[in-house]
Amino acid sequence: MATQTKTVKPAYEMTYWERLGKEVVRDKYLYLLLLPGFLILIVFRYIPILGNVIAFMDFNPYDMAKSTWVGFDHFVDLLTRPQFLNVFKNTLVISILKMVCGFPVPIILALMMNEMRNLKFKKVSQTILYLPHFISWVVLSGLIMNMLNPDTGVLTGIVSAMVGERVQVLSDPRYFVQMLVISDVYKGMGWGTVVYFAALSGVDPQLYEAASIDGARKWKQLIHITLPAITPTIVIMLILSCNNIVNAGFDQIFMLYSALVYDVADIIDTYVYRIGIGRSDYSFSTAAGMFKSIIAFVMILIVNTVAKKTGNEGIW
Amino acid sequence: MAEANKNKIKTSIPEKIFTVFNYAFFVALCLAMLYPFWHVLMLSFSSLEASLKGGIFLYPKGFNLDTYQSVFKNPQVYSGFGVSILVTILGTVLGTLLTAMVAFPLSKSRLRGGKVLMVLVLFTMIFSAGMIPSFLVVQGLGLLNNILALVLPGLVSAYNAIIMKSFFLSIPESLEESARIDGANDLRIFFSIILPLSKATIATIALFNAVGYWNDYFSAVLYIRDTNLWPLQMVLRFMLTNTQQAMQQAGVNVIAQTNTNAETIKAGTIIVSTIPILCVYPFVQKYFVKGVMIGGVKG
Repeated sequence: MATQTKTVKPAYEMTYWERLGKEVVRDKYLYLLLLPGFLILIVFRYIPILGNVIAFMDFNPYDMAKSTWVGFDHFVDLLTRPQFLNVFKNTLVISILKMVCGFPVPIILALMMNEMRNLKFKKVSQTILYLPHFISWVVLSGLIMNMLNPDTGVLTGIVSAMVGERVQVLSDPRYFVQMLVISDVYKGMGWGTVVYFAALSGVDPQLYEAASIDGARKWKQLIHITLPAITPTIVIMLILSCNNIVNAGFDQIFMLYSALVYDVADIIDTYVYRIGIGRSDYSFSTAAGMFKSIIAFVMILIVNTVAKKTGNEGIW
Repeated sequence: MAEANKNKIKTSIPEKIFTVFNYAFFVALCLAMLYPFWHVLMLSFSSLEASLKGGIFLYPKGFNLDTYQSVFKNPQVYSGFGVSILVTILGTVLGTLLTAMVAFPLSKSRLRGGKVLMVLVLFTMIFSAGMIPSFLVVQGLGLLNNILALVLPGLVSAYNAIIMKSFFLSIPESLEESARIDGANDLRIFFSIILPLSKATIATIALFNAVGYWNDYFSAVLYIRDTNLWPLQMVLRFMLTNTQQAMQQAGVNVIAQTNTNAETIKAGTIIVSTIPILCVYPFVQKYFVKGVMIGGVKG
């Protein structure tokens, strides 16, 4: 055994390629583990990303050879079509309204729940409030359609009384967006409290003790202890929520909208679906989709940079 | 924190008022959250005339179970359950496993090209390929009208991979080292040491995956034309948005003598498709909350 002289070069004598080869062989099983996942990513993520080139073509799905390059024509077309500009506006309006209305609610709920001393009651309320987050938009829109049924809906009467005329919320452009915002808040507000509870549970109880010994009432404790403690979480959540500026909530709107409310409720994703899948205008709809992806991409880069600059953990 | 604050000072009157108000508010809010579900449930138990006339608020009018007889006569409800269960199981098991398999090597700093591969995974999260190119790829693969089209595209989640990667990083290197000395290779280490150690994290991610697959309807809108292959959500969607057609397909003549109509059948189908979630949800809810904690604020 000892006489068998195997010429293994020490690492420092190896060339870059020799060392690379050796390490790849050493970690072969790690690469093997990566393989299936990466195959999925390549086929269902990267090929479609490359497939976005059809936005620069007049793509003929039946005969690739008949597809011609048209450069930025579809993008020019897109940005000069009043219809698309309206769709873009709707997307921003709906997502910003959802953000503005939906953002403060979980904070307020978390602070209120935090004052509950009956833990059992707190647990039960949390379970109930989280529930809609786990229910699909299909079921929730079934509930909404039921509540807002023009003839028998429980809410139809209430809303009609409030605005002083008989309204059909789901087909009335004047009320449709409000309905979207309210139902979105309904779905998300409970679950949104979870991150704030995480922040609240990190507050040192001694702070409250010391404050109450010093005579600080609940209100003062809230202002001087609780709020400062969750401010970092509020800031990062606010930054992250900007990510969704072009995501107005496709699953929800696609379930609930109809031609009657296209004017206010048609967003980029629903538009892409109708033009692309409905009319098979693949190139133009891909251009519309790509327009959205690029805005989302830029937003996420900005958001991540801002998050890191402000001393927070970024998204990656 | 709750216990620590047993007030040494007497609670003032405004504080007492606030406490009462606080509890009352949450009682009201919870009831309001649940009411839409309750109303649909009561509607599903009500008679045809009552459901048409309205005025059902807190309890059913003309109590009967005809609605559920009709719902369970609908073959699509059965096939829908079957497809949804299959897709959810496949998607959850494969998706969680593949994502863990991607995350583990990427947690090893010694892996050549690991950084580049990580960026490739991340990029799928920050740049969306878009609906149409994705559709064309699935179509090109001949997966239209195939249940795999509901499972495969979303299997690997970059977001979950990041969460798992940071969890794997927290597992002490020494555990692996000792296994390696005993002759275990990386596959062995992953399946017999890392995976069992990460049970809690993996279970949480699996739960989120399961909810995602169960609730997904849009993949079916895009990829499945064959109504026998529709998942439950899609069956319900069709019923809600194309009532007349759906009722005919379901074999329900809306003006028949049965004590049901489109509204009660929709209500019944909503209940039937929500019950599984409602049964499981209270028991797994705490794991979801844990999941958000794992992901930091990223939940």
